[in-house]
Amino acid sequence: MTWRPTALNVSFLTVVGWALFLAVLTGRVELAVVAVPAVVALVAGRRAGAPPAWRIRRELSTARLLEDECVTVTLTLRADGPVPLVELLEPLPPRVGVERGRHHVFFTLRAGQELRWTYDLRAAGRQHLGLEGPHVRVWGPLGLASAEAQYRVPGTVAVYPRHAPIRHVPYPRRTQTFVGNYVSPTQGEGIEPGDIRPFAPGDPIRNVNWRATLKLGPLHVTRHHQERNADVVLLLDTLSEVGPDGETVVDTVVRGAAALAAAYLARKDRVGLIEYGGQPRWVRPGAGRAHLERLLDALLRASVVFTYVDRDLDLVPPRILPPQALVVALSPLLDQRFVRAATDLAARGFDLLVIAVSPVQAARAAVRPSAVADVAARLWTLERRAELDEYRRRGLTIAEWDGIEPLDAVLAAFGRRARRRVLAG
Amino acid sequence: MMRLAALVLLAVLAASPLGVRPSTPPVAWLATVALVVGGVGVMAWSVPLVTAAASLVVIAYALALVVAGPAVEPLAAIALGTTLVLLLALVHLGDRLRGAAVGASVIVAQARQWLAVVALGVVAAVVLTTAAVPLGVALRGATLPVMVIAAALGAVLTVAGVIALVAREGRRV
Repeated sequence: MTWRPTALNVSFLTVVGWALFLAVLTGRVELAVVAVPAVVALVAGRRAGAPPAWRIRRELSTARLLEDECVTVTLTLRADGPVPLVELLEPLPPRVGVERGRHHVFFTLRAGQELRWTYDLRAAGRQHLGLEGPHVRVWGPLGLASAEAQYRVPGTVAVYPRHAPIRHVPYPRRTQTFVGNYVSPTQGEGIEPGDIRPFAPGDPIRNVNWRATLKLGPLHVTRHHQERNADVVLLLDTLSEVGPDGETVVDTVVRGAAALAAAYLARKDRVGLIEYGGQPRWVRPGAGRAHLERLLDALLRASVVFTYVDRDLDLVPPRILPPQALVVALSPLLDQRFVRAATDLAARGFDLLVIAVSPVQAARAAVRPSAVADVAARLWTLERRAELDEYRRRGLTIAEWDGIEPLDAVLAAFGRRARRRVLAG
Repeated sequence: MMRLAALVLLAVLAASPLGVRPSTPPVAWLATVALVVGGVGVMAWSVPLVTAAASLVVIAYALALVVAGPAVEPLAAIALGTTLVLLLALVHLGDRLRGAAVGASVIVAQARQWLAVVALGVVAAVVLTTAAVPLGVALRGATLPVMVIAAALGAVLTVAGVIALVAREGRRV
């Protein structure tokens, strides 16, 4: 730490200069006397002793949270010597606000005194909330000198996208071999009753259908459909972005993907992720709570990277995009490269559902409300409706989501029965 | 509370020239302008504006002394000097504390520190004034140009010394 003179010295010197100049000019001793307290203050202000040594410790109440949740930051300070005035400021990253308390504080410390300083931060958007360390400024007498340093006490909190629970997830057309929650067409061990057939040696006695046996004569057994899981791949469009910071369509897409990932993983499905953008990234399908955190970590970094390069999903390895998987694409459908990729997937026989996130609301949030903006938004909505109809004619199954109403309500129409109807039509 | 204290100090400061010569228009105008500029500075916690107001008060005080030509009165000058120091320190602190949480003991500790410095200033002013009396008697025979040159040299050396002290590179700790 280094003592440095502050701007207040200039103020004192100005007054001293005026007083002494006028004293010489007028020959009045009172003016010289006026300057004396200021001169003494300037000299005393330089007599600041060595700043004391500090020990700073920081604790964060959690290492991970959801958007709009709070994290409590507790700083503990201890100085070896007395400090008449010390200033602490914790610089905040963008899109982070102080919910309770202050991140800028002044206090005095006695020798050996320990001070605990607590405040709550609220993160407005998904991010790796990084706190580097507080700036500490020690003030000398009268504020004429100060010594400043930044203490590196790094702390990071992962702010995951918020996601509402989804009860009605889109059903996959094909299932996998592991046990899950979907009724498979194949028959074997399960709960859902299937066909009835004559008893064969080896059939468990509890499968005997007594009603059919009484009606038909020989023993008959009920077969059951197997309950299987599915592979679900979430395909994120990060080619285009509309809307204000923290409320862009990519943020909406990420929230939707997080909700779907949590819902499918809760149903014992394996969920993978492909970020289709300027810098493609993916997460291999997996199951379990640890995998949900892996997916949320990947979603945390999802962002638009500008590129002219047209990516092809053929390059994605089959273990990332299994042929039997249900692909749920979340996109504003603004970039034709993504539309082409989705159409190509549907044409190749992938079980594909596109959740078209409307960019109109996000764009309106970014501009000042006006009658012209209203008309433009309505026209855009009409154009977009026509575009989506065209994509549907090309074979895409599209669910429209404005990002405001719950995704669950949108997907309710794409449950098992409705989706079969769509496929049949 | 701090703003109120600063306004009281500013009012005392602006009244100092009027205490010497209340009815002279230029002194009253300068004091009024200093009060307005200083008031704006206090409300905005602006040290430059308050410095400008303090400089105007010093000029008005000098003008009042020249016009009225009263007998030497060091106590009023010491009071003016200490008020100036307190006002500038208070406004500077108010500017620093803006938007921050302030510990309960901060203001008390600062006030104690300021009073110590101001007391030191008062003692220094009294000592210097007392020492100047025999010096004045000794220099009674000196010619005016010599006195003016000596006073100017003393003023310049004082300011230069303080500037050198302030601008000296900070200590590495």
